[in-house]
Amino acid sequence: MKTQARFLMLAALVLGLAMSASAQAYNLKSPIAGKPVFLTSAGQSADIEMVKVLLDRSKIPYKTDGQAKGGALKAALSKSLLIAIGGSSKGLGAAGISTEAELARVKEVIAEARKLGLKIIGVHVGGEARRGELSDAFIMAVVPLCDYVIVVAEGNKDGLFTKLCAQAKIPLDSVDKISKVVEPLTKSFQ
Amino acid sequence: MERKKTIDIIVSCLLLAAALAAVAMVTPGYLAMRKPDTIRKGPGVSRVTLLSEYFPGVKGTVGDSEVYILDSGKPGGSALILGGTHGNEPAGYMTAILFVENARPQAGRLFVIPRANASAATHTDPMEGTPRSFTIDAASGKRSFRFGSRATNPIDQWPDPDIYIHASSGQQLSGSETRNLNRAYPGRQDGTFTEKVAFAITALILKEGVDVTVDLHEASPEYPVINAIVAHERAMPVASAAILDLEFEDITMGLEPSPKSLHGLTHRELGDATKTLAILMEDTNPSQGRLRGRTSEALILEGKDELYVRAQKLGRLFVPFDEKGWPLSTRVGRHMAGLEAIFGAFSAQNPDKPLVVDGMPPYEELVAGNFGKFL
Repeated sequence: MKTQARFLMLAALVLGLAMSASAQAYNLKSPIAGKPVFLTSAGQSADIEMVKVLLDRSKIPYKTDGQAKGGALKAALSKSLLIAIGGSSKGLGAAGISTEAELARVKEVIAEARKLGLKIIGVHVGGEARRGELSDAFIMAVVPLCDYVIVVAEGNKDGLFTKLCAQAKIPLDSVDKISKVVEPLTKSFQ
Repeated sequence: MERKKTIDIIVSCLLLAAALAAVAMVTPGYLAMRKPDTIRKGPGVSRVTLLSEYFPGVKGTVGDSEVYILDSGKPGGSALILGGTHGNEPAGYMTAILFVENARPQAGRLFVIPRANASAATHTDPMEGTPRSFTIDAASGKRSFRFGSRATNPIDQWPDPDIYIHASSGQQLSGSETRNLNRAYPGRQDGTFTEKVAFAITALILKEGVDVTVDLHEASPEYPVINAIVAHERAMPVASAAILDLEFEDITMGLEPSPKSLHGLTHRELGDATKTLAILMEDTNPSQGRLRGRTSEALILEGKDELYVRAQKLGRLFVPFDEKGWPLSTRVGRHMAGLEAIFGAFSAQNPDKPLVVDGMPPYEELVAGNFGKFL
């Protein structure tokens, strides 16, 4: 009888450990953002296309304009703002926008979101390849203005996102793959 | 005096004979470059035609490449796979050859041109020291494949202008780019050899109503657009979904937009001139890079190079590079997995036009080095 009880306790312990390992704990404890969300870019990288697929897979309704300006959120009747962060010199060149003009544009959209009382989520899916001087300029400008940030771990190897989010007291969640962004992203919407 | 003259004549004759003997020795190898590699018709090939079916202007020239048609006989989408746009990027044409010899379409139609610029396979680049061919231990015995050049053979198109002006955009590039097929699209029917080949490929896409075009390339490890998909803006939804699907298999692939201001390339011009979703895939090829060491058949096949390992440690590369290198088999595996993901993403987004293909060599087998098993 004693042996049987020990076995049951051990089995329960193993099961509990397995369950806790399979479900990743996120730093964002409850949903913050409303639907539909408005998606824009900070840096004109192709990462916005990846985020669109993530939103599709998360079944989160959205409207998008990579080059949106102030007034876009109200016009789209959006309930939150999602920003795909990552700079691309090709993307900026193709859009005919300078880094400074792009930063000003993103800040204008963020200001509108703040005015409308909308939550802002930043997401960086580009990994190590989407870091460097250009991308970092957008990361440092946008991350402190977000309410929640999700990063694919490879892009945070040097801890830049951790440092910026800690300074601004913003919950930050890190996932090891782009496809795994879906889970914390879905959980952040009401 | 008379004796000296006789000796001079004898020496001259001997030197001439030696020169002729040397020419005779190297001629078979030189002429062999003009003989196309063997490509076997696989179980899915329903018809083989030539590019001249779509544009007679290339008929009878080296540019009149084979087009392998794999028609499932069932309704669905259509795709064009281009290999050999650049003859020194072997993963591109080897993937196309493996596809032709193994794939079995179950829905839709596939067009495969393994030697998009067949002329580029008939010569090597001067001063590069590249081998003319490489040999693979295949299931059917040893098979040799050509290692060519990035550009059309000057025998087929000469001379180069000082400046190459892209016909439809007026874009100016260096003169040698006039023989680069991937700067010639959408092509011209009264243009150069290379422009005519590009025109024929564009004509095929238009006539067959090709839904997706994938141009298979490789890049040197120090080139920033590498291990990536470059997509026309209309192809972005398919390309981004494909990249996410690849990530599920732990295959990392970047996404780059096709710059609107860079002309002549497949991912820009074919997307603009036709309704096809134009995509280009880049892989890692140390045998075409500037930082490489000894250029040998082993470098092409195994992709190992200690100078690239050093360059990686110095932060000069855009891809990881260790002692394992980037074997051709792995690179072909990445391209093959990319094609599968693109077809899957296209089918998911266009349920009325499925593109279903069986028999494609699996990524795991190719990465494990079992390349020859499928040849």
